[in-house]
Amino acid sequence: MRANKAQVWGLISPTLILMILIGVVPVIYVIYLSVFRYSVFSRTGMIYIGFDNYRNLMFDSSFWSSLSLGLSFVFFCCIIELPLGLLIANLLTYEFKGKGVFRTIMALPLAMAPVSIGSMWVLLTNPDIGPLPYFLGKIGVNYNIGVNATQAFATTIFMDVWHWTPFVILTFMAGLASLPKDPYEASLVDGANRWQTFRYITLPLLRPVILTTLFIRLMDTFRIFDEVWMLTSGGPGTATRFVSIHLVREALRSMNYGYSSAMSLFLLYLTIVICWLLLTFISASQEES
Amino acid sequence: MRKRLLVMVFALCFLLVSSVAFAQVANPDWWKKAAEPYKGVVIHGVSESTPPSKALRDVAIPQFEELTGIKVEFEVTSWDEMYNKEIQDMQAGTGIYDFVYIEQDAFASYLEQGWLSELNSLAENAELTYPDFDLPDFTSFIDSFKDKEGNLYGIPFEAFLKTYIYRTDLFNDPEIQAAFQEKYGYALAVPTTWEQYTDIAKFFTEYGKEKGIELYGHVAQAKTHPCLAYELCETIWPTWGVYNWGINLENMRTSVENGGTLNSDTAKEALRWYVDMLQYAPPGVRTYTWDEAAATFGTGIIAQGFLYMENLGFLANDPNRSVVIGKIGVDLPPTKPGVMEAAEADEGYIGYYDGGALGIPKAAKNKEAAWLFMQWCTRKEWQPEFAKLATTVVRQSAFKDPAIAELNEKMGGYYTVMQEKGHLFAGCPPLPMQTPLNELYLQWISKAVAGEISPEECLDNLAKEADKLMEDLGY
Repeated sequence: MRANKAQVWGLISPTLILMILIGVVPVIYVIYLSVFRYSVFSRTGMIYIGFDNYRNLMFDSSFWSSLSLGLSFVFFCCIIELPLGLLIANLLTYEFKGKGVFRTIMALPLAMAPVSIGSMWVLLTNPDIGPLPYFLGKIGVNYNIGVNATQAFATTIFMDVWHWTPFVILTFMAGLASLPKDPYEASLVDGANRWQTFRYITLPLLRPVILTTLFIRLMDTFRIFDEVWMLTSGGPGTATRFVSIHLVREALRSMNYGYSSAMSLFLLYLTIVICWLLLTFISASQEES
Repeated sequence: MRKRLLVMVFALCFLLVSSVAFAQVANPDWWKKAAEPYKGVVIHGVSESTPPSKALRDVAIPQFEELTGIKVEFEVTSWDEMYNKEIQDMQAGTGIYDFVYIEQDAFASYLEQGWLSELNSLAENAELTYPDFDLPDFTSFIDSFKDKEGNLYGIPFEAFLKTYIYRTDLFNDPEIQAAFQEKYGYALAVPTTWEQYTDIAKFFTEYGKEKGIELYGHVAQAKTHPCLAYELCETIWPTWGVYNWGINLENMRTSVENGGTLNSDTAKEALRWYVDMLQYAPPGVRTYTWDEAAATFGTGIIAQGFLYMENLGFLANDPNRSVVIGKIGVDLPPTKPGVMEAAEADEGYIGYYDGGALGIPKAAKNKEAAWLFMQWCTRKEWQPEFAKLATTVVRQSAFKDPAIAELNEKMGGYYTVMQEKGHLFAGCPPLPMQTPLNELYLQWISKAVAGEISPEECLDNLAKEADKLMEDLGY
């Protein structure tokens, strides 16, 4: 038995060491940095300031404004992507001509790197040569994401919806395919219509899948960086300066390592709380079903 | 017999190709001998994706590798990526890079942090220094890479002005001249005051609308990007008489109450003017960085503006990227009263003398091989070809070269401006904290450009926060 234990530890130790090195050590280092005033360009070097970085964070209006922008982005993306994904996934359960082609084309954005997506949208929305401003101009809409903050914000949401709704569709399609047939047969016998079947059978059965997808999308949209960085770099002004962009600017442009470490840890805490809430919901819904 | 003939023909061809490939190498034997101990060594470098760096990557490096046997891994990447990579390498002392790009702006930061190797000892080593390397032949730009004691830390390989550029064909068009004269009551010419510049900008934008052609009187780099803050600090404010980013260099403070000029009435007036002028630029101007500003000028829809002159290489020579070949004029920027006189008296400056050097990090593993490569990129005989590929001139002797004189004509007299009036321009003041400072400037100025706040509110807040930043950084 003892030999077995040693064998087990021997086998898992390489993975464990690697995980500690790439997962735990950096977090400890970030915690360590967060209690210092430390900028690469500082003359004073590292100065221990206790929890001052955290205190400053609480009163940093630009941080809170970027956090609220980031959360708004998460809200709008999830509220559009999930119902839309569910609708299309449901439609794809029916047979129609060209279904295979549609499914393939629909999944294409998923195969593209976020940076490429951002670059592509830069060209699409370019106020001088982009097709979007051109065609919108034809119907009287003055579309310019360099000037109009609302349009810039809406465009980032639209870009994310375009990029990630296929993922939501695929997840829901897999979920729908795994649902048991019996309740549907029973509903047919009871004379339920399509809407009633969807509302009282599909939705409750699909609840764990919906919550899991929401969980993934929530985390992804909260961390969005590449696409928005390419498209607007956070502008015009601060219109799309989501919290991830704010953090990168603070850490990599200002090289304010102490403060940005405190910011990262706060965001990590926030993410953990949201994850915990969602996981609790998922577990509860799995127990129910 | 036939075989021998074939070998002879092959040898002749090889000789011919070699002589063409190294036509501009005055003394190939010296390079071969000096590089002998480092044959097979791989040196790593990083630089910004600028025309000069691309010319090094595409032309200079293959020749160097073939001649010396030293392999050069040269990363040409985006501006911010370059900074991230080289700063992290130098800060951690990992020695990944054997040579790095030192932008003139960043030199003070690198020097303050002690990240660079001093080059004098290498330059004094006769075995490693090309006999005709001739350091005194470099333009005074080389002084931007020396410390207070005169020790050298970087060899300039690119230098250019950011100055006024305009379309000679439009300015010389009799119909346009008459229309302008009629509208404003004075002749259309290169503006010497900001009022004239504004008139011209307005005129061309309206002229385009009237004629139904796409034409604008102004261009800017107004994206929410570091370039926006640089444009104000380097180009606009100096010509209004606000120097050194509005910072009082004696106490490193920016606000008027602390002796700075960042939130002075002049700085506010200039920023307001800058924001107002965007109406005369193309609709997409708020999405332009320095690259898009130059590319848009190349499409022929801009009558005048301010560009980094490193872009002149493609604007004046590349028909695939420019429709304004042979239609470019370059001159001094307009100024507010007294600014030109102050610049001539060496009490101010009228614009930005930018560029970069190649330097060797302290932790570099192949300093000698890197030093050979740096000399290769800046040697005399390579200068005319380098100028043709990338506009850059870093040696005085190059200005006398007939090839440069020919280029000068194509480039609207740019080299004349650079040689004769270059002293009126200045590089970035010695600000070791310029990177975080630029980020802070950008954060506030972009709000003013987006109309979120007024220029006055922007600069008052910016000056307050910049003073706080300076204090936090120990200045």
